[in-house]
Amino acid sequence: MKKNILFKSYALAMILLMGICAKSFAQTASTVDSSIYDRLNYLEEQMNYHKSGDDHFMVVGLATMGFASNKTTNILNGVTDITKSNSFPDVDHFEFSPMLLWRHGKKFLMEFEPSFANNAVGVNWADISYFVAPNLILRAGYFVLPFGTYSKKQAAGWINKLATDPMGIGDVPSADYGVEIEGGLPLGSMKMNYDLALTNGLQLNTDGTLAGGNIVDNNNNKTITARLGLLPFSNSSLELGVSGMFGKVGNYGTIYQDVKSNLYAIDLNYVKTFVPILLNIKSQYNIINIDDANYVSPLDPTQTYTFKNHTTNGFVQCAIRPTGIQALKDLELAGRYTTYSTPANSTFGSDQHSFSIGLNYWLSWRAVARITYEAYTGNSTASQALNAFTGTTNSNTLFLQFSIQL
Amino acid sequence: MKKYKPLHTISLGIIILFSAISIFSINSCAPSKAVAAKSGVQLWSENCQRCHNTPSPTTFSPEIWETVGMHMQTRALLTEAERDKIVEFLKSSR
Repeated sequence: MKKNILFKSYALAMILLMGICAKSFAQTASTVDSSIYDRLNYLEEQMNYHKSGDDHFMVVGLATMGFASNKTTNILNGVTDITKSNSFPDVDHFEFSPMLLWRHGKKFLMEFEPSFANNAVGVNWADISYFVAPNLILRAGYFVLPFGTYSKKQAAGWINKLATDPMGIGDVPSADYGVEIEGGLPLGSMKMNYDLALTNGLQLNTDGTLAGGNIVDNNNNKTITARLGLLPFSNSSLELGVSGMFGKVGNYGTIYQDVKSNLYAIDLNYVKTFVPILLNIKSQYNIINIDDANYVSPLDPTQTYTFKNHTTNGFVQCAIRPTGIQALKDLELAGRYTTYSTPANSTFGSDQHSFSIGLNYWLSWRAVARITYEAYTGNSTASQALNAFTGTTNSNTLFLQFSIQL
Repeated sequence: MKKYKPLHTISLGIIILFSAISIFSINSCAPSKAVAAKSGVQLWSENCQRCHNTPSPTTFSPEIWETVGMHMQTRALLTEAERDKIVEFLKSSR
């Protein structure tokens, strides 16, 4: 009997103890759960707070600055003239250009790049792109023309392999007002890209050179610029391009109103690693033809003169970077040959050649310090009757330059 | 004798050519199986260096890479599939 009572008392005590423990553990678990939930809620709030919106605005840009030391020798009518200059910064290649990008969802992109260069503030481009279809982009505004590839893809100081631009590349103004369609297309193992622009067009200067497009068209005739690019290899190492630009350039209501220009360009880009070297070859050749016209003599406004307005310029550039050699992977050696021929018997006729060689030291993938040496030879073919002939010019220039994408 | 107008002929030809290309692009050309199977890292290493050094994924935030990707598509004329894969690689490799 006593044993039975003792057993019952023991069982009751155990049940009470288990009940107390269970309640105690339940309170602890509940406290822990609550703490975790609070923490998760807080993190979720933080995530939502920092979550990206559909739109995005950002500022990037580039800066290029440096130093140039030049010696120029000119021989005209047997007289030799030597000039020397040192410029800090190098005035022809100083640039500070912030670039503003607005992304409006995944369909619109606005791009604006003001630029402080040549001691003045200008605008490189200001346009809106609409991503119409997977491989079709529609753009409007003031944009870089699809003529060749240098202006659109290689001109930025932190991308360029040398301190200077190839001679004559600036003869075709890089940007204009209008509309454009472009895109890249897969073609089996190859790729192609297309770019077609309709713009106000270039304008003829009084000496037969071309000026950039204006916000007001000078002749109500729109200029067509187009480029087709083909990447024949599946690794995209080679790109071949052909471009054309066609339109009237003379001012409406003047004797030049029917003067047209026909411009053509071919370009090549080959970039491939041959372990341990990264090989980079780029080339572009431009032809500029402008209809014959009579221009007013700078010596006598009552007289006119004419010439065959045909200009050519081109360059071949090669760079090698030993990316597979640890000690040398940040160095890159580059060389470029440039030829530039402007119309004979004009006021600016010349036959020019230059050779540039340089060494780049890459501080990061988008910051470079470089040294470039450039040798130039120019023989004037300008009209002697117009007192424009300038003889033979040779120059040697050393550039020290730093460029960065920000 | 009919007057030859090379400018108009060339312009008309270009317009027709590019109209055809535009329609062609909307209907989409097809990449080969090997090209379609390329990864983001492979496309990043092949395409970026065509113009500049290959960018480090840690340079920008994922949000910025989206915007940069759209900008680069307009510059390098990448296909949309290439852009999406490259951007995804850059976003996920930070």
